[in-house]
Amino acid sequence: MDNGERFDTSRMKRSHWAAHFLEGWSVFIQNPLGKAGVGLLILFGLMAAASVIPPWIDPMYRPMTGVDPEIVRSVGPSLKHWLGTDFMGRDLFSQLLAGARIAFMVGVSAAFMTVVLGTAIGMTAGYMGRTVDTLLMRLADIIMVMPTLLFVLMLAALFGQLNIWTIVLIIGLFRWPGVSRVIRSQTLSLKQRPFIEAARVAGASHLRIIFRHIMPNVLPLSFLYMTFRVTSAITIEAALAFLGFGDPGTVSWGMMLQWVWKTGHMFKAPYWLLPPGICISLITLSFYMLGRAMDEVLDPRLRKEEDA
Amino acid sequence: MELRSFIFRRLIQVVVIFFIIQTALFLLFRLAPGDPVERMVDPTMTPEDADRLVAVLGLDQPLWTQYAIYLRNFFQGEFGTSFYYGQPVVEIIWEKLPNTILLFTTSIILSALVGIALGKIAAWHKGSRTDTWLTIGSLVTHTVFLPWLALLLIWVFAYKLGWFPITGMISEDVWLDPGAGLWAKALDIGHHLVLPLSTLFLIHFGSSLLVMRSSMLDTLKEDYILTARAKGLTDKEVRNRHAARNAALPVVTGVGLGLAFSINGGALTETVFTWPGIGRELVFAVSHADYPLAQAAFLLIALVVLVANVIVDVLYAYLDPRIRY
Repeated sequence: MDNGERFDTSRMKRSHWAAHFLEGWSVFIQNPLGKAGVGLLILFGLMAAASVIPPWIDPMYRPMTGVDPEIVRSVGPSLKHWLGTDFMGRDLFSQLLAGARIAFMVGVSAAFMTVVLGTAIGMTAGYMGRTVDTLLMRLADIIMVMPTLLFVLMLAALFGQLNIWTIVLIIGLFRWPGVSRVIRSQTLSLKQRPFIEAARVAGASHLRIIFRHIMPNVLPLSFLYMTFRVTSAITIEAALAFLGFGDPGTVSWGMMLQWVWKTGHMFKAPYWLLPPGICISLITLSFYMLGRAMDEVLDPRLRKEEDA
Repeated sequence: MELRSFIFRRLIQVVVIFFIIQTALFLLFRLAPGDPVERMVDPTMTPEDADRLVAVLGLDQPLWTQYAIYLRNFFQGEFGTSFYYGQPVVEIIWEKLPNTILLFTTSIILSALVGIALGKIAAWHKGSRTDTWLTIGSLVTHTVFLPWLALLLIWVFAYKLGWFPITGMISEDVWLDPGAGLWAKALDIGHHLVLPLSTLFLIHFGSSLLVMRSSMLDTLKEDYILTARAKGLTDKEVRNRHAARNAALPVVTGVGLGLAFSINGGALTETVFTWPGIGRELVFAVSHADYPLAQAAFLLIALVVLVANVIVDVLYAYLDPRIRY
């Protein structure tokens, strides 16, 4: 085939993707769930960004080490401490802001790992088939019945205090099976399509078929799963911290709840008990809503249903 | 006949998976940094007792022999002695198992049934105010942070209002009273069960509701629903007998896939309410470096999840004959 006669497929593809994206975005943003989710996440993003401000104003606002010298116990909200202080006299508001940063960090990085692993394994299993498929999917079955939180607890018992990146890594290693199952079945149906056959006849290698032809078609689905995995990663980290096995060097919302619970302030200090719980619940809710709104973008059947 | 061979196949799979989990746990315990003997033998034991236990657990043997002994001990119910309680691990976990099963099964069954019933209503009145509130309600309860919800329920209903006990599973005054009959004791457990059960119920019913709602909406578009209506059946008959029965199948699948997640929630609930179950025992054992207890509790929890999985699968196969082939 003469090169000059070829269509400029790359440019076509790009404009096609842009159009797709714009259409998807307009559906997405019209969806009340999508709107609420994005709005809340922007709010949490601002919180995370603002977390650098209080320690910069006064060292006593450092979330972990800063202690108000005049207060060494938990007191309610005041002008100096908007949400009050914890049992050591640390400022709860700056802890809450720092918690937003940790939640994003843990949620997004663990979810990213999960999805990269899940997509790669799902595509490999679906494309290779046979023994590889069977082995990978049986492995997925086994990991799927393991209660992640409890397993991380066991690891904490064996290996001592886990730091935040180890926790992220373990969550990433244990949450991929759900993603890979979906990606696998998508790959299986893509494999039957004529364009894959065409690519194979044209002499494309397995790797090229997987990365150039299959991956672009499963990525939207992976992205969808990523939002749901953010939710579960944040919850697992928070639960771990709540039980007292979090990274002792970080201030997460789960950690704040652990302190209020373990120091017996939960019935005395609503100003301390309420904010972190509301934040964890709302951030997981907003990622969840984001996922459901994206689901509607990716699956037009759901859209029609809303019109009917 | 078909169903029986299906169950048999699933049971074989479960045995294999359990065996692999067990092996993984064995390797983790033996190969983790630190001395495995220190992990399995209570540091406060007399040297003679410690030596005897090392021999029983085979800790002085090469890894392969240790593994064989480990498997043999498992089938004989020998898990070593708890560091904290100083009594055989197997006795402790057998005592706790029924409590976990009570909380786990009632919460799963209750939340699935309520989720199905409400999801049916939401789908049937799609777009109505009922639908909107049910959907929002289930989104919120589904994503709320479980331990926090548990603390809130304790704070409001146990501490402020005093309707329910704050912690535990039984009240001593009822159980130590020789005059108290079985009924009074059951009632006492039920009273303690309300708040932990509500916590798990609130967390779980939302996902069943959402799955039921969307699957019911799909089902309502099917031709056989049109046929049912054309035959002149009432709305109620079409909804309950023709649509809902088929629509409920994905809920069963969802419950099965969520079992591992549910047991995490169960452990958190047990811990906050100090409900004497295996999940709480595991958390407790881990915080007290009680390795033999932690290992056995984890294995038992994995077993509970696996068995529950099979039950859900069998239920599914029973409800939908297509998948057996």
